[in-house]
Amino acid sequence: MPTITLRDAQKSYGTNAANAVSNLDLEIGDGEFMCLLGPSGCGKTTTLRMIAGLENLSDGEIRIGERVVDSVRQGVFVPPEKREMGLVFQSYALWPHLTIEHNTDFGLRLRKVPKAEREAQVERVMRALDIEKYRHRYPSQLSGGQQQRVALARMLAVNPGILLLDEPLSNLDARLRLEMRAELKRIHREFNTTIVFVTHDQWEAMTLATKIAVMNEGSLQQLGTPNEIYDLPANRFVAEFVGSPPINILGLNGPDGSGLAGAARQYLARWHSGPEGIGSLGIRPEALHLARSDEIPEGSFSGPVEVTGILPTGGSWILELAGEGDPLFMTMHEAPEIDLGTKAHFWAKPEALHVFDTKGQRSTAFDRNVRRSTPTQ
Amino acid sequence: MVFSGKGTRPQGRRRARVSPETQGWPDMRPLSSPTRDVPFAGERGAIAPSPPTTFQRLRYRLKISLREPTTVIGIVTALLFAYLIVVPIVSMLTDAVHVQFGDERRIGRPFGELTLYYLNRAFLAPISTALFWTPLLNTLSVAFGAILLSFLVGAPLAWLVSRTDMFGRKWFATALIVPYMLPAWTFALAWTTLFKNRTVGGQPGWIEALGFTPPDWLAYGRVPITVVLALHYTPFIILLFGTALRRFDSQLEDSARILGARQYQVAWRIILPLMRPALLSAMVLIFAKCLGEFGVPYVLGLPVKFEVLSTSLFRSISSRQSGVAAVLAGAIMLIGIITLLIDARLVKEARRFVTVGSKGTMNRLTRLGRMRILATLFAATVFMLSVGLPLLTLFLSTVMEVPGRFALDNFTLNYWIGRDLDSVALRTGILLSPDLWSAAWNTLWIVGLASITSGLLGLLVGYVTVRTPFRPLATFLRQVTFLPYLVPGIAFATAYLSLFAVQRGPVPALYGTSAILMLALMADQMPYASRAGVSAMMQLGKDPEEAAQVAGAGWFRRMLSIVIPIQKGSLVTGILLPFISGIKGLSLFVVLAVPSTDVLTTFSMRLVDYHYTQAANAVVLIVAGIAYAGTLAAQKLTRTNIAEGLGG
Ligand SMILES: Nc1ncnc2c1ncn2[C@@H]1O[C@H](COP(=O)(O)OP(=O)(O)OP(=O)(O)O)[C@@H](O)[C@H]1O
Ligand SMILES: [Mg+2]
Repeated sequence: MPTITLRDAQKSYGTNAANAVSNLDLEIGDGEFMCLLGPSGCGKTTTLRMIAGLENLSDGEIRIGERVVDSVRQGVFVPPEKREMGLVFQSYALWPHLTIEHNTDFGLRLRKVPKAEREAQVERVMRALDIEKYRHRYPSQLSGGQQQRVALARMLAVNPGILLLDEPLSNLDARLRLEMRAELKRIHREFNTTIVFVTHDQWEAMTLATKIAVMNEGSLQQLGTPNEIYDLPANRFVAEFVGSPPINILGLNGPDGSGLAGAARQYLARWHSGPEGIGSLGIRPEALHLARSDEIPEGSFSGPVEVTGILPTGGSWILELAGEGDPLFMTMHEAPEIDLGTKAHFWAKPEALHVFDTKGQRSTAFDRNVRRSTPTQ
Repeated sequence: MVFSGKGTRPQGRRRARVSPETQGWPDMRPLSSPTRDVPFAGERGAIAPSPPTTFQRLRYRLKISLREPTTVIGIVTALLFAYLIVVPIVSMLTDAVHVQFGDERRIGRPFGELTLYYLNRAFLAPISTALFWTPLLNTLSVAFGAILLSFLVGAPLAWLVSRTDMFGRKWFATALIVPYMLPAWTFALAWTTLFKNRTVGGQPGWIEALGFTPPDWLAYGRVPITVVLALHYTPFIILLFGTALRRFDSQLEDSARILGARQYQVAWRIILPLMRPALLSAMVLIFAKCLGEFGVPYVLGLPVKFEVLSTSLFRSISSRQSGVAAVLAGAIMLIGIITLLIDARLVKEARRFVTVGSKGTMNRLTRLGRMRILATLFAATVFMLSVGLPLLTLFLSTVMEVPGRFALDNFTLNYWIGRDLDSVALRTGILLSPDLWSAAWNTLWIVGLASITSGLLGLLVGYVTVRTPFRPLATFLRQVTFLPYLVPGIAFATAYLSLFAVQRGPVPALYGTSAILMLALMADQMPYASRAGVSAMMQLGKDPEEAAQVAGAGWFRRMLSIVIPIQKGSLVTGILLPFISGIKGLSLFVVLAVPSTDVLTTFSMRLVDYHYTQAANAVVLIVAGIAYAGTLAAQKLTRTNIAEGLGG
C-alpha cells in the first residue's frame, strides 16, 4: 500500500472562519496504524475527510504514493470515489433504505463482483462482526453499537488498502470494544492495510496505534509512537492530554522562590538548563514515589508532603499529596500502607521529569543533560 | 440514527492542577517529525509559504465545482426558474407601463412605448373607481368580514376540540377541517342552488321554488361571499389556533384562576393575549387567500356586478385590456407581498412567547359540565352548515328535475347519465358527456405532470442547495422558487399570459395550449415543492451520499441507488399534496384555459356561465370527491397531518 502524504494541508470553513486544520504535514506510511488523537473540535474528522476527498483543501497538497490526489496550486482533485479508500463515519451514515445485508454488499455490487464470491465475502465479514443475525433488518432497527459494526462491515467488505475510521468504537460496550480493537489489529496485521484511526480516547490510541498524531486546535502537536508520545511529550499540551490521571504540572514562571516551585527551580538549576528559560515542570503520577526523608535516592527531585487523600480506582490507588501549597497526584499499584495525614517525602528520578520552556515546548537541553549524567550516577 | 453523544466525551483539555498560570495556553507551534525515528524535531521552519494565488484558487474551485453535475444542474435549474418565474412577472410589470397592442390609437402613441396611461386609468381616472377602488374596498370588506366570522366560529371550536371534554372531540377535530379540503366555490354553488332568484336566468333556486323570493342582498354579493369564504377558511383558525392552544400551558390558566379570575376573564385576559400571534397569523393567511380567491366572488358576485380585485382583473383580461390587467395584477401582487411580510413578522414575534410550549407543559382538558351537550350541538351545527348542507344541496340538485320540489317523481338520474336531454348544448348526462372526460383527462395529466415535475425539481433544488460548493447558487435557487408564494394565483396567471400570449424568440405563443397551464401550475407549486425538497435533503444530510461516494459510486449511481430511494417518501408527499391542491385550483387556470384545454374546475365554471346548474354542480361534486379522497389518501400514505399541507 502506498504512503499518504499531507503537505502543508489547510482547511478553513468559510472565508473568515479560523482554520479547522492549519499547516498540517503528515506522512502515513505503508502498513501504518496511525491514530489521530486530540480533544473535540481539534480537526481530526476534518483531516480524515480531507484524506478521503470529502473536504476540499484551502491550501496544500495530498499525495497517495507518488500520485498527487489533491492540490490547490496544481489544480488537481481526485474525487472520493476514485481514491479507493474505506471510511467509517462518525455518524455511521448507514443507508436507511437498505437492509444490513445490502448495506454490506453495496461496494461489492458496485465493483461487479460475481455473486458467489460476493455472498461469501459478505457472509465472512458479517460473521466476523457478529451481525449476520440482523442481515434482513434495516439500520433504524439496530442499536448504536450494532450500527457501528455494520458501518465497519460495509467498509471491510470491499477490503480497501486504506482504512479511515472516525471514532468507530465509541458506541460499543467495553467488551465489544476490546474485541473490535483486537479485530482491527488482526485486520491490520493480516492484510497489512494502512489504517488512519480517529479517536479522542487515549487508551484506544495507545493500545492500537503504531503511530500517534496528537492534534490541538487544528495543528499537529506531536507525531510519534505511543511510547514516545507518553514518555517524551513534545510540549505541555501533549503531556497534559495524554495520561490518566493527568500529569502533575508545576508552573515555574512566577517570581516566588518558596514552596515546591522554589524547590523545583533550585533542583533544575543543577542540570544547567538556566532557570530563566523554564516555564513548567511535569511529573507523571506514576513517576512519583513516597519515602522517609532518609530513604530518598541520591540526585532525585524530592520534597516534603502530607497525604491528604487516598482514592482507590480498582487495582490501583491515587494519592493526593499536599506539598507546600501545591497538591500532587500519584498512582500506586499496590495498596498503600499509609494513613491519611501521614507526613512523608515524595521523590522522582530526574529522567522522569518533563521540563517545558516558557512557550510550553519540551526542553531538549534538559533531557540531554540528564541523559549524559545519569549513567555515571 | 444514533450519533455518538458528544456530551459524554471526556474534556480533552484537562485542567492543570498546580498553578493557575496553566489556564491559558502559551502559544504553541506545531511540531512534526517526518523522519520516523526522531520523536520530535524541534519547531517547524517559521517561514510560511505564500498563500496560493487567486488564479490557482479559482482554478481549483472551478475544478471541484464542475467535477460533478450538481453545479451544472443547479445552474440549469436556476436559469429555468428565472425564465418560468421571474421573467413572466417582470414582463407583466413592464406591460403595465408600455403601450399594448391594439391601444395605439386610444393612447395616441406607437405600440411598445413607455406610458402612464394604464396606471392613470386604474388608479386616477374616473373609471378607476370601477376598475380598482370599488373592487379593492369590496375585497377588503369581504376579507375582513370573512376573517371576523371565521374567527367568531373557529376560535370557540378550536378551543372545544383541543382543550375540552366535548363529546366526539376527536371526530370533530377531523370533520370540521373538511371544508378546507373542498374547493371554496363548492359552497358558492350550493348557495346559489338554494338562494338564487330571478335576477339571473336558468332554473330557480330552491327557496324561490318554495314560493319565497330571496332578496338580492341574500342571494348575491357581499353577504353570501363573506359567509361562504368564512365557512371555507374556518378550518384555518381551528387548525392553527388549535395547535397553539394545545401547546398552551394549563398552569398559566390555573395561576390566574387561583388569583380569583373568572373563566371568561381568564379567556380574555390570559389566553387570548398569549394566543395573539398565532391568531393574527391565521387571520393574515386567510386574508392572503381571500385576496386571490376567484371562484366564489365570480359565482356569487357577478349577477349583481359585485366586483372584487380578482374578478375585476379577470374582466380586464377577458376584454383584452392587458395593460390595465397588468396594473391590477401588480397591485394584487403588491398587497399579497405586504400581507406575507406582515405574517413573517408575526411568526417571528410568536417565537418570543416562550411560555407557550415550554417544558413541563400541562395540557388538562376543561370539564364543560352542563355545557357539554350545548357545545357538542354547536360543533354539530357548524359541521352541518359547512359540510352537510352544502354537499347535500349540491347532490340533491343534480338528481332533481325541478329544483326544490321534493316529490318522488321529481327525482331523476338524467343529469348524471341521461341521454337526449332537451337542452341546447349539453344533451347527455354529465357522466356521458365527452367534455367531462376530456376535462378529467386534462386535469389528470396537466396537474399530474406539473406535480411530478415540480416534486422532482423541488428535490433537485433541495439537493443542489445542500450539496453545491457554490453557495450563491443555493441561495438564488431557494429564493426564486419561493417567489410565486408571494403572488396570488390569478396575478401569476396574468404574468404568464403576458409572457406567453405571443411568440417570443424561439418560444411559440403558448396561449391556448395545455403547455401554458402545465408550466404555470408547475411554477406556482414550486414554493411548496422546493421547501419540501430542501427540508428533506437537510434532514438527510450529506453522510449517506458521501458514504456511497467513498464506496466508489459515481454521481448518477448515487442518485439512483441512494438519494432518490431514500427520499421516496417525501417525494410522494411533494407530488401528492400539490396534485390535490392543483385539482381543486381555479384562479390560475381560469385565466389560461380555453375550452379545448379545460380542466374540471374551469369546465364547471363554463357550465355555470351557461346556466347548466345541475351539470356544474355535478362536476364540482366530482372535484370535491377527488380532492377529499386524495387528501385522506395522502394523509394515510404519508402519515402527516393536513395542517402541514395547509399552505397548498
Ligand atoms: N461543515 C463545517 N462548517 C464549519 N465549521 C466546521 C465544519 N465542520 C467542522 N467545523 C469546525 O472545524 C473544527 C474541526 O472540526 P472536526 O469535526 O474536524 O473536529 P473533531 O476533531 O473531529 O472533533 P470531534 O472529536 O468532536 O469529532 C471545529 O472547530 C468545527 O467547529
Ligand atoms: Mg470528529
